[in-house]
This record gives sequence, structure tokens and C-alpha cells, in this order.
Amino acid sequence: MDLPIQMLITAVAVPVFGAFLIPIAAKVSVPTRNAFAVLLGLFTFFAAASLMKLVVGGQTASWTLAFPRGFDLILHADMLSVFMASISAFVSAIILIYSLDYISHYDNQTEYYAMVVLFLGSMMGLVFSASLLWMYVFWEMTGFASWRLVGFFRSDKDVAKANKTILVTVFGALCMLVGIIMIYFDYGTLDLRALHGQAISYAAAGFILVGILSKSATLPFSTWLPDAGVAPSTVTSLLHAAVLVKIGVYAYARIFGVTFAAPDGFSTAVLYIAGASALVSAGAALIDTDIKRIIAYSTISQLAFIFLGLASGNKTAFAGALLYILMHSIAKAGLFLCAGIIEQNAHTKDINQMGGLFSSMPVTGAAFALCSLSVMGIPPFGGFFSKFMVFSGAAQNGNLPVLLMFLAGAVMTLLYLVRLFYKIFLGEPGGHGNPKEGSYTMVASVMALALIGLALGALIYYPSAYTELLTNNLGVNLQ
Amino acid sequence: MNLILIPIILPIVSALALLLISERTRYLKELLAICASVVSLLAAANIFLLPAQTVSYAWLGSAISFTLSTDTLSAFLLLAAGLFSAAISIYSFSMPNKGPAKWFFFNLLMTQAFASGAALADNMVAMLFFWEGLLVFLYTFIALSQTTYAAKRTAMKAFLINGATDICLLVGITITGYIAGTMSMSEISHNKLTLDYGWSVFAYVLLLIGAVSKAGAFPFHTWIPDAATDSSASFMAFVPAAIDKLLGIYFLARASIYLFVLNGTMQLVLMTLGAVTILVAVMMALVQKDYKRLLSYHAVSQTGYMILGIGTLNPIGIAGGLFHMINHATYKSCLFMTSGSVERQAGTTDLSKLGGLFRAMPVTGLCFIIAAAAISGIAPLNGFFSKELVYKGTLDTGYTIFFLAAELGSFLTLASFLKLGHSVFFGVRPENLKETKEAPFSMLLPMLGLAAICVVFGFGAQLPINWFISPSLEALNIRHGILTGFHPDKLYFLSVIVILAAVINHLLGLAAGGGKADKASDHIHYAPVLKEAYAMAERRVFDIYEVGMDRVVPAFSYALFKVDRFFDWVIDTAPSGAAGFLGNTSRRFHTGSYPLYMALTLAGAIIYILLLASNGGLK
Repeated sequence: MDLPIQMLITAVAVPVFGAFLIPIAAKVSVPTRNAFAVLLGLFTFFAAASLMKLVVGGQTASWTLAFPRGFDLILHADMLSVFMASISAFVSAIILIYSLDYISHYDNQTEYYAMVVLFLGSMMGLVFSASLLWMYVFWEMTGFASWRLVGFFRSDKDVAKANKTILVTVFGALCMLVGIIMIYFDYGTLDLRALHGQAISYAAAGFILVGILSKSATLPFSTWLPDAGVAPSTVTSLLHAAVLVKIGVYAYARIFGVTFAAPDGFSTAVLYIAGASALVSAGAALIDTDIKRIIAYSTISQLAFIFLGLASGNKTAFAGALLYILMHSIAKAGLFLCAGIIEQNAHTKDINQMGGLFSSMPVTGAAFALCSLSVMGIPPFGGFFSKFMVFSGAAQNGNLPVLLMFLAGAVMTLLYLVRLFYKIFLGEPGGHGNPKEGSYTMVASVMALALIGLALGALIYYPSAYTELLTNNLGVNLQ
Repeated sequence: MNLILIPIILPIVSALALLLISERTRYLKELLAICASVVSLLAAANIFLLPAQTVSYAWLGSAISFTLSTDTLSAFLLLAAGLFSAAISIYSFSMPNKGPAKWFFFNLLMTQAFASGAALADNMVAMLFFWEGLLVFLYTFIALSQTTYAAKRTAMKAFLINGATDICLLVGITITGYIAGTMSMSEISHNKLTLDYGWSVFAYVLLLIGAVSKAGAFPFHTWIPDAATDSSASFMAFVPAAIDKLLGIYFLARASIYLFVLNGTMQLVLMTLGAVTILVAVMMALVQKDYKRLLSYHAVSQTGYMILGIGTLNPIGIAGGLFHMINHATYKSCLFMTSGSVERQAGTTDLSKLGGLFRAMPVTGLCFIIAAAAISGIAPLNGFFSKELVYKGTLDTGYTIFFLAAELGSFLTLASFLKLGHSVFFGVRPENLKETKEAPFSMLLPMLGLAAICVVFGFGAQLPINWFISPSLEALNIRHGILTGFHPDKLYFLSVIVILAAVINHLLGLAAGGGKADKASDHIHYAPVLKEAYAMAERRVFDIYEVGMDRVVPAFSYALFKVDRFFDWVIDTAPSGAAGFLGNTSRRFHTGSYPLYMALTLAGAIIYILLLASNGGLK
């Protein structure tokens, strides 16, 4: 078996099966368990990233495990899946490192690590699956892991929010399953490679879209995401920012961007839904006072920009949306992890009780500011380029109402993030005892993410060349 | 390395190096910053003297390259940005009240680098990259200049106003680039865009918003007076007075002349915007009681002349606009420097607490008089010539009303500078200022330099016109006739009348204000109608930012938040409620009572039979 194929299999199998070994490692000792979990994360990242060279060279790698009736498990590495897998695994690895300190204050750590790694494995499986059925299977596995993780603190409120999360996403996933079955009856196969360039009916596309919107927390299924903010910050950042919500976006890119030719009216409808989602969540982000809920609303709003790029139907926008996934994953993970430090040390999530924290937490404050700038799309941060390209594609698409909605959305992004930064770090102190700065590993993790955002801006040539090549090679029906 | 890159890379590298230097070292940071900005200035001068050249690197995908080009206009801008950076860094050497020195010079050098980049960029995306990147340093500049909460809030205000308009600019650039099929400004200029359909009008308006907001024109100016109170004189002399004006007017000229062919309607829009900016801001300047705040309103008002000049769309007016841009940066920077020097030596900028400082601070006073005369358009200083060009250009368009507005603006400008100069440098010196001494040499030197430029560009107006303005017009592909020469014509005599009127007004004001110079504008401040208008302005009724943040944004977001809650109800409360209702209802029928079950079964059977019968029975 070729090395790339081995890497492909290990990228999925190691975290999925490794997750079940974490309880055993925990029997040995706590440091063993922690080291094992971090190693699983890092290993997955390197396995996924090692495929980068192959796919940039224009090749792909596939591995099939036969199942009857065309339900084969197909793992397929192409530019899109490797891109997505590398980002997810990278952010997950950073989060695992950050967790070493963050989660050490709480109970049920073994389950936490097992679920995070299982989540990572399911994510890898989902991303690399070239079969819609197996995408669905891994999709539900991520939902299961997120359910356990959102309900990490076991109070009734936490469990209720966790149930909300899984009920909404499973409802969407079941709708998606209906759509997948419709495709199966239309074409007799669920192999995405065989379906490349085919037309898709409105009904099937609509059902799949429900699944995508619910997973990617977009209107009308958005509110589970802020509610899931009861989870530990690492989880919110893993789930909200970097990985889980990107599943829906990834599925959109995979199904409607590089496989099926989406009907025009369908794409237009997605644009309007995304525009409304961007505005509504930005408005809510300006009203809410819970730091994690605000960042979660911001995630919803930024996801809408990714949808804008994916659904605009041209190459600039599509490549921009992929860049957006990269930039947003890094920056938003950084914001959530900063929120984690603040929450843990200031013992509150209410921004009205913060204020003036910059003097006591300068590094966290700086990292928070840098990540916010990237999310806002201010140069020289990477976020500027993705925002520019998405807008450029939207201008090319020529839909004025949608463009105006996103213009307003982008301005509101500035408003709520600047307000948040001011309220937390600069404004008048609101009755806290000048909390300490976070621990070394936590602060280093957030600063690393912030500086990576800056580095991605400085070295934008490489990611933009990658996404452009990806779009040219794989894109379907793009102008 | 290519010479073009030095004014961008050298300040960035030096700024990063500054961060490594301990805050406790004396002079090291200052000297490094001064060296970096002066060397960048020399590099810029060298670039200016060389023929135009272009460098290009692969950048964002295959369609967008990172292209810098030094046509004469860009090279002129680069030189000007370098000049003010060098002047301010020298000035700030012994300037207190500017926040931590390390961060001040970091911001200064970064601003210089990004401004240089924006001036040189030929690709609109590269320009936007540098232009919008300035936001970060605008924020840190203001936020770090004082430790007050007000400074943080003003930083936020400046960031949000400029950030929002920068996003407009971003969208404008994407549309312009798409319509033109290229992001390169020089390529677009070969085949200019016209405003004959909706999308191009929309694109131009967005570019216009970005440009005039950077220049600090009405209604995007409101952060500038606040920054005057909440930040340092060095910052004011550098960013709002010089760099922002240079860039904003530069891109306004590029967009209005080089990229688009404007029509009569848009010309009127521009000229109206210019005239309104002149009058609104100067009216506010007139009644200010603080040295820096008064100057800051003039920084806004003077932008109006530049916009008016460019809005005329004729060579004379455009030349006037560009000439006024550089002149304004020179004297306004100098004026803010004098305010900083007075603040340092006298400890306040409150006009009611100052007075009679000319004897104590003769050099500062002299620089003030030269710069104030220049801004008031007194011949033969530089401001006179650029204003004359703007007036001529305005008269050539046939819209006399704008000319009258501009002249009225001149009158009020001079009136307010008479008040300012009188109350700071003349009159009676308060008892506590008896010991006041002149500012240190490092502050006087750049001030004197800029004042000298005001004189040289006035008496020898031919020099800047031939060296800078005329080549800039050529870079914009404008053919033009003779632009300068002192003519004792009607316009000149009108300017003398304006001067006399302002002096008479000042004397009247003094008489009405009981001889107190700082009250010399009270007869206008408390005039009927105006009194109410000023009172509303004090309450910030006309400040789009304050009104927006106080009223519009909360209401709008609250409505959106309600929509969010509605969808939450749809996906959470409603389904759980429905499920609970169904569960409870069916539970009520499962009581374990045998007769109830029998009754239900019977009822079900009857309903079934009735349904069958209504459908024609079993077949």
C-alpha cells in the first residue's frame, strides 16, 4: 500500500480508535492520558498535512472498504478534503494542548479527552469520506461527541442545552438523510466521485440544505450555538469556531461546490438566508452580555460570509470562502480560548462585570485584539484577504440586496467586536479583583493562534494559490 | 532590494525593533525612530527624483498582484508622508503627554510605512491593504496616548467611523475592479469608467465615502475634535492634520479624475460636500475654547477646500485642491506643533487660562503667526495661492454660490485665528504663566521648518507648482495651462476685504466680550438661531456616530435580536411545547380505568364506521 493511502487511513483510524484507548491510558496515569491525547491530535494533524504535497501535485489518494449495495466506505484525499482536514486537525491539536491546563480544574477529564479525540476522528472520517452515506455516519458521530461535550458540566441547564444541540442537529441530519436517499434512488450510487457534475433536484438539495444549515448554525437553526456556550471554552472553541460548524460549510462546498451543479434559484435562496443570518446574529451579538454567547453569535454571522462565498457561483468567491474557513477557524478559536482564560480567571461570563482587564491580562488582551482584527478583516491579518475575496465574488455575482446585507453585516462585525474588546479590556472595571493572567500553556496557545493569523496575512500567497488551484481543479459550474 | 520598498520596509522593521527595546532606556527609541523616518524620507526623495518605476509581485491568486508604482503623484505623496513623519518624530523627541514612547514611535513608524504603501500602490487591493491597515495604528495611537477612558472611547470612535467607511471602500473597490476587469489603477485609467449606469455610480459613491472619510470631511469628521482633547498634539499634527488628509485627497483625486469620468450631478455632489464641510466645521471652530480642539475643527474645514477644488473637475481647481492638500498639511501640522509646545510649557490648552505668551515663547509665537496667516489665506503665504486656485476653479464652473461659501469660510477662519492668536500669544499673561519659557530646540526645529515651507511655498509658489503640482496633474492625465503668478486682480482685492472684515469682526467681538480675547466669538456663538444650533451641536445631535451608537444601533440590533429569539422559539420552545402538550394529553387518557378504555375503543370504532360510510362503505 502506498504511503499516502496509509496516511489517509491512519488520519481517520488513529483518532477514532485511539479515542477508545484513552480510558485505558487514564488507568496508567493522568500525565500518560494527557500526553496520549495530545499525541493523537498532533499525529492526526501531521498525517493529514502530509497529504498536502500529494494533492498539490495534482494527484489524489483513495481507499475503499467494500460494503454491499454500493454503501462502500470510501476515503478519498483531494485538495478540498486535505485542506479541511489539516485546518481541523491543527486547531484541534492546539485546543488539546490548551486543555492540558484548562480542563485540569474539572471532573470527568477522561471522558473529555476521549470525546474530543473521537470528535476529531469523526471529523477526519467525514472530511475524507467520498460516500454520502458514510459522510452521514461520521456526521452523526460528531453530533454524539458534541452532545457529550456540551453537557460536560452536568447541571440540568447544561444537559438541556446539550439536548437542544443534538436535537436540532439530528433533526437536520435526518432531513439530510432523506435527501441522500433521494440521490441514491436517482443515481443508484452515493459515491461522490461518480456523481461529479450531475444535476441535483430541488427537493434533494433542499433536504440536504436543512442538514447543512442546522449543523452550521445558520438561520433558522442558529440558536443552539449560543446556547451551547454553557460548555467549557475549549469545547465551544472546538465545536463553535474551528470545526463542528465548519462541517456544514464543508458539506456545502463538497456537495454543491465540487460535486453537484446546484440549481441557480437554490444558490440565490442560500444567499438570502445567509444574508439574513449575518444580520440577525450580528444584531444579537450587540445585545447579548455573555462573552461566549457574543462570540458564538459572531461565529454564526461569519459563517454566513462563508456561505456567501460558496453560493455566489464564481471562482473568486469560492476560493475566498475556503480562505475564509481557514482564517476564521484560526482567529475564532483564538477568541474562544481567550474567553476561556478570562472566564476562568475572572469567574464571570458577563461582560458588564469585566472591564479594565488589559492591565492584568496583557497577553490575553493582545491576542484577543489580534484575533478580533482578523475576524473583522482588517489588514495585515489573513482575514482581510478572505473578506475581500468573498466580497469581490459577491460583487461579481451582482445581487445588490445581498451585497448590501453583507456590507451591513461587515460593519456590524466591527461594532460588536470593538464593543466586546472595549467592555472586557478597556472599559471601567465592573467589580472584579484584578484576575491573574492565564497559565503559560494557555497564553502561549492563544498567542500562537493570533500570530498565525498575522503570518497568514503576510504569507497570503501560499494559501490563496492553494485555494485558487483547488477551485480551478475541482469547482463545478463556477464562472 | 528595490529602492521603492525602503520607505515601506524600513519603518516596519524599525518599529518592530523598537518593541524589543526596554521602555527604561533614554533616547535610544527616539533616535532609532528619527533615524528610520529620516532615512525613509531620503529614500522617498531619491525615488521622487528618479523616473517612474514599477515593482510587482505575485500575491492574491493569479488575478491580483502586489504592484507598487512611482508615478509623479505617488512619488509626491510618498515624499510628503516621509516629510511629516520625519518632522513629527523629531518634534516628539522631547514631547511629553504622548503615552509610552515605545508605542508612540511604533505607531508613528507603522503609520509612515502603511501610508507610504498606500501612496505607492498601483493595485487597488494593495492600496486598500495599506489604507485599511492604518486603522490598527489609528486605534493604538489614540488609545495609548492617554490613560483616560475617554481616550479609549475616542479610539473606538475613530476606529469604527474609519472602519465602517473602509468597508464601503472595500466593496467599492471590488465593484470597480469587476466592472473594469482589472484592479490596476493605471490600466483602468486607459479606459476610464463612466457613471452611466447604476453599478458604476454605486461603486464611485463607495470610493468617495472611503476617500472623504479618510480626509476627515463632513459627516465623518466627528472623531477628530474628540481626538484633539483625548490624544496628543503630536498625534494630531501627524495623522488627522497630515497623513489622513494626504491619503484621502490623493485617492479622491485618483478616483474622481483617474478612474472615473464624473458627470455634472456628481460634480455638484462633490462641490456641495466641500462647501458644507468648510462652513459647518469652521462655524464649530469659531466658538471653541480649547487650542487643540479649535485647530481640529479647522483640520476638517480645510478639507472642504480640497474637496471643492477637486470637485470643480477643471485643471485649475484640481491643482488648487492638491496644492491645498500639501499646504494644509504643512501649516496645520505646524499649528498643532505650536499647540503641543504651548501645552508642554504652559501646562494647558484652555484659551481662558492662556495669554501673552509671545514674549515668553517668541519662536513658537512666530511659527504660529506664519501658519495662522497661511491657513487664513493671507497673501503671499502658501495658503493664499492654493485657495486662489480653488476659488478660480470654482468660479470657472459657474456655480458662484460655492465661491461665496468658500469666501465666507475664509472670513470665519481668519476670525477664529484672530481670536486664538490673541488669546494665547497676546493680551495679558496670567499670573501663573510668568515663569513660562520657550519650548526645547527639538520641538522648535520641525516647527520652524514647516513654517519656512509655508513662506517658501508662498513667495515662491512657482516652485511647488512646477515641482509637485504640475507633474501630479500630468500623472492624472490632465492638460493644463499656467497655474500660478501673483495677480492683483479682483480676487486679491476680495481677499483683502475679507481680511478687513475679519479684523472688524474681531474688534466687535472683543468689545462685546469685555476685551477678553477668548470671548471674541461669543457675539456669534450666542446670536439668535445660532445659539440653538450650537446648543444642539454641543449635545451631539449632529454627530452621526453618537446618534448612531445611542439610538440607531441599539434599536436596530434589538429588533434583530427579537428575530433571533423568534427563531429560537420556532426551533426550541414551539417543538418542545408541542411535544409536551401531546405527551400530557395522551397521558390523560391512560389512567388505567377499564371503562374509559372501552369507551375510547367504542368511540374509535364508531368514527371508523362513519368515515367508511361517508366514503361509500367497504368495497
